Amino acid sequence: MASGITAERLSKTFRVKVRDPGLGGALRALVRPRYRDVHAVREVTFRIEPGEIVGFLGPNGAGKTTTLKMLTGLLHPTTGRVEVAGFVPWTGGPAFKRRIALVLGNRQQLVWDLPPEETFQLNRAIYDVPEADYRERLAELVALLQLSEVLEKPVRQLSLGERMKCELAAALLHRPPILFLDEPTLGLDVTAQEAIRGFLAAYRERHGATVLLTSHYMQDVTALASRVLIINRGRLLYDGGLDALVARIARTKRIELVLGDGATAEALAAFGELKSFRFPNAVLEVPREEAAATSARLLAALPVADLSIEDLPIEDVIRRAFTHGVEEDDA
Amino acid sequence: MSRAARWVRRYGALIRNAWLVDLQYRASITLWLLWGVTEPAVALGIWWTIAGDGPVAGYARADFARYFFALMLVNQLTIAWDSWYLDSWIREGELNFRLARPLHPAHEAVAENIAYKARTAGMILVVWLLVALAWPAVRLPLQPGRWALTALAVLLAAAMRFFISFTTGLLAFWTTRATAIMDLHAGVSLFLSGRIAPLALLPPAVAGAAAWLWFPYMLAFPVEVLTGAAHGAALGHGFAGQVVWLGVWIAGYRLAWSRGIKRYGAVGG
Repeated sequence: MASGITAERLSKTFRVKVRDPGLGGALRALVRPRYRDVHAVREVTFRIEPGEIVGFLGPNGAGKTTTLKMLTGLLHPTTGRVEVAGFVPWTGGPAFKRRIALVLGNRQQLVWDLPPEETFQLNRAIYDVPEADYRERLAELVALLQLSEVLEKPVRQLSLGERMKCELAAALLHRPPILFLDEPTLGLDVTAQEAIRGFLAAYRERHGATVLLTSHYMQDVTALASRVLIINRGRLLYDGGLDALVARIARTKRIELVLGDGATAEALAAFGELKSFRFPNAVLEVPREEAAATSARLLAALPVADLSIEDLPIEDVIRRAFTHGVEEDDA
Repeated sequence: MSRAARWVRRYGALIRNAWLVDLQYRASITLWLLWGVTEPAVALGIWWTIAGDGPVAGYARADFARYFFALMLVNQLTIAWDSWYLDSWIREGELNFRLARPLHPAHEAVAENIAYKARTAGMILVVWLLVALAWPAVRLPLQPGRWALTALAVLLAAAMRFFISFTTGLLAFWTTRATAIMDLHAGVSLFLSGRIAPLALLPPAVAGAAAWLWFPYMLAFPVEVLTGAAHGAALGHGFAGQVVWLGVWIAGYRLAWSRGIKRYGAVGG
């Protein structure tokens, strides 16, 4: 069965009650309620092929989680069509739910007072995983996520990182072909984030799962996904490769310099936009196509000890996409 | 694996988890149990004193003792807390992962009910047996037929109270005051279900109103089946009332669930 994801002109509009502040506002809302339409997702269209891993990026309130909830059948779209693993999510029933995993970084399914293995056993029963498969999968997940130390500790005694690893294990015991991960590294320290990323990459490599991943942390996306969907204010701003996004938005490159004696900020400013200067280090931003020529001129004109040409950091690129839109630099 | 075997395994796992969690909260379980015992004990104390001058509406002291001991047991076997769980699942977003699993969330609630009732009622039964050894008034006749009828009445009452609680909890899809509605229901049922006094002692107008509602079938009827106060036509009438009201609450649950899930799907959680 196909394990791709299709969303066509997907929209979600919430009707929310509007209330003025104070007691008067509360009373008015009671007598004459007023409503406002909030367009959480507007006409979003994309297709994710089986086995693809796609990063879903956007600031808070952009519509990421709402989209994810529509794809998993928790929300009904106002308009549009969704197909996940060959099912319409909200009518797919148990057969659909066995083919997906939903991991919400800010919510947990682990039973708080019991060791994680008790939740694993519960999920084994809920998803009808045969005993032999369960043992084999658990052994694999324990090895990949390095869980052997924590299996018998109550969940409440685990660190945030250990809990998220166990959440992932609990969500993957039925080996779903499609994973929806909503902020799986939320609040984790750098080491734990890296462990989760390493696991997701290895898991997808082994089992060819389709993954849609939302995250605030750009490293999650750059480490795992070559394709990103960028959403803001409910609209899909970009769907494509990270490299192409950088080329499209970042029409500039950074020249990072280590300077010798005698180089000044004034002298550097003549070559491009001086982003920082702290002798002996300086960063210049120049148009992409002029980067090589400008570098050559810099080497000839100034005492340069070291020089490197870099793309803009992906964080900067994405931030620009959020705030100014993807077409910004094309205009 | 057969379909039945899969369900046995699922329920086994759910009940096991509920018991394991309970073991972590031994002190609070004991307090709940004491609360379950205290209310009927206080009511019994009051009626015991009042009946000192002679039977009240046909209830002598020993009848009150039997009634309230039976009530203690039947209440623990039929009580349902689901509205509080559901309210928090819906408002705190914990319903999301439950909806993403291939198991209706009601099964988890049913399993928790079975786990709670098996444990607490077992404890109350032991207490009752110990008290009955010393106090003949609370002994019950060992008639298998009556115990079988009691089991049926308790099962129907437990099912009805579960659906009442679950359905009321589902109101959290619409209002933040679902638990307040359940509190109101509990307050009314204190009088109309026979928790504070046998229904025969209520003013005729109140007892008449109760007879048209589901409250007597939640508690008073199974208690009277157990004590032997209900017999003949009253048994038939009582079981019919239980079946009808159970049907009504199941229909209410189905309506609230389908509408509520649609609303949840429309407005999010």
